[in-house]
Amino acid sequence: MTRWRAGQRISGSLTTADVARGTIVIVVVLVVQHTLLDDVRVDGAHPDLMLLLPMAAGYAAGPDRGAVFGFFTGLVADLFLPTTFGLSALVGCLLGFATGTATRGLVRSSWWLPSVVAVVATAAGMGAYAILGAVLGDPGMLRTYLVPALAVSTPFAALLAVPVLRFVSWAVPEPGPSHGTPAAGGVR
Amino acid sequence: MPRRTRRARRARRGLTVGLLVLASIAIITLDYKGQAHGVISGAKRAAHDAFSPVQRGVDAIVHPVGSFLSGAVHGGDLETQNAKLRREIGALQRETLISQAARNQLRALERLDQLPWVGDIPTVTAQVNALSPSDFAATVQLDKGTTSGVADGMPVVGGAGLVGQVTEVWSSGCTVRLVTDVASSVGVRFGSAGNLALVQGSGLGRDLAVNLVAPGTALHKGEVLTTSGLQNAQYPPDIPVAYVKSFSSTPSATQETVTARPLADLAVLQYVDVLQWSAAP
Repeated sequence: MTRWRAGQRISGSLTTADVARGTIVIVVVLVVQHTLLDDVRVDGAHPDLMLLLPMAAGYAAGPDRGAVFGFFTGLVADLFLPTTFGLSALVGCLLGFATGTATRGLVRSSWWLPSVVAVVATAAGMGAYAILGAVLGDPGMLRTYLVPALAVSTPFAALLAVPVLRFVSWAVPEPGPSHGTPAAGGVR
Repeated sequence: MPRRTRRARRARRGLTVGLLVLASIAIITLDYKGQAHGVISGAKRAAHDAFSPVQRGVDAIVHPVGSFLSGAVHGGDLETQNAKLRREIGALQRETLISQAARNQLRALERLDQLPWVGDIPTVTAQVNALSPSDFAATVQLDKGTTSGVADGMPVVGGAGLVGQVTEVWSSGCTVRLVTDVASSVGVRFGSAGNLALVQGSGLGRDLAVNLVAPGTALHKGEVLTTSGLQNAQYPPDIPVAYVKSFSSTPSATQETVTARPLADLAVLQYVDVLQWSAAP
């Protein structure tokens, strides 16, 4: 039987240590979300830290890893949500890929860039989530819940973008020769 | 970088994302059509069962740490005697608050014990221990699950009326969709003529929409709407749901525009009763 060792490569430049770190990030953020942030309520809505993870992975490690990390983050989030199973996985995958693709060519010297990217990604992710929910037969997600969700989640996304990005950069490094370090320019 | 390598990398990236999107759509389709309901609800149950002790543990740690830090910050510059006196005062205040909280809890539980509309239906009293984990659904989580006899689809009532319905259940808890959720609809009856209507949620904290009320139907503000309990109903009959808040009609309308407010105060739910009742097959 084949055994995996820490540091062993699974696919491309992905190692078992990367997978372990990614799992730790998802579990820690899940615990913070459900023990602390779920209770922060404004007009029935609360900040959504889980949606920041695909954005951060795409920003830190590019579209490929952003998509993969976003998919698995969404799948885990879906286990605890009363909405259609798989919806967060689809949105997470697309969000990670889109963020990675859109921010690849950017010069990352501005301290405010991660916050701006987080706000745009959160708004896009929530919009996509609500539209897909409406397509699947729940129009109230778009008509009723989207506006308060955006109003609460986007300011928190701007505030939490940098710490989340640092945490995710540790777990999901950029592939290639600079393995183990964040994307060019890094997180400032 | 050679153009061929770049093209190959782009193709590989497209393949990865394409496969993940396809996998997501397949999962959504299976859940939507109910074909993998057993597998998905089993996975959700297992996740909740695994996560519940972690959540309780973290809650237990986070609160005392907060209290400890607060005490350390405020207590450092106090004289010993003042600190001792404050501790004593704090203990007394705590006792008062605890007994006050206990009295409130007892009152809430007593109210649940005297629900006239429950009749002979067995109930499971549960405590609300979490609000909705999603921004896109109005739900609460209770601390009673399958081990206490709670099952999927059971109605949930509070001190004044209907709260919602159990939509997910695991061993130590369940999720209840509130009547205010946009996906919730309850068949109701009102007035001496026994008129029928459909109450639909419009989002947390908002009034309910009452549909299928024919123009000219006799209505008055404050009229109580109760569950109809018709065949295939999701709820037993005669549970108070809401009271009429406003109604109006336009000449060309096919129905009255009626809004209602839930009788149960969903903003401050603490204890609820799960009715061990299931709809007739």
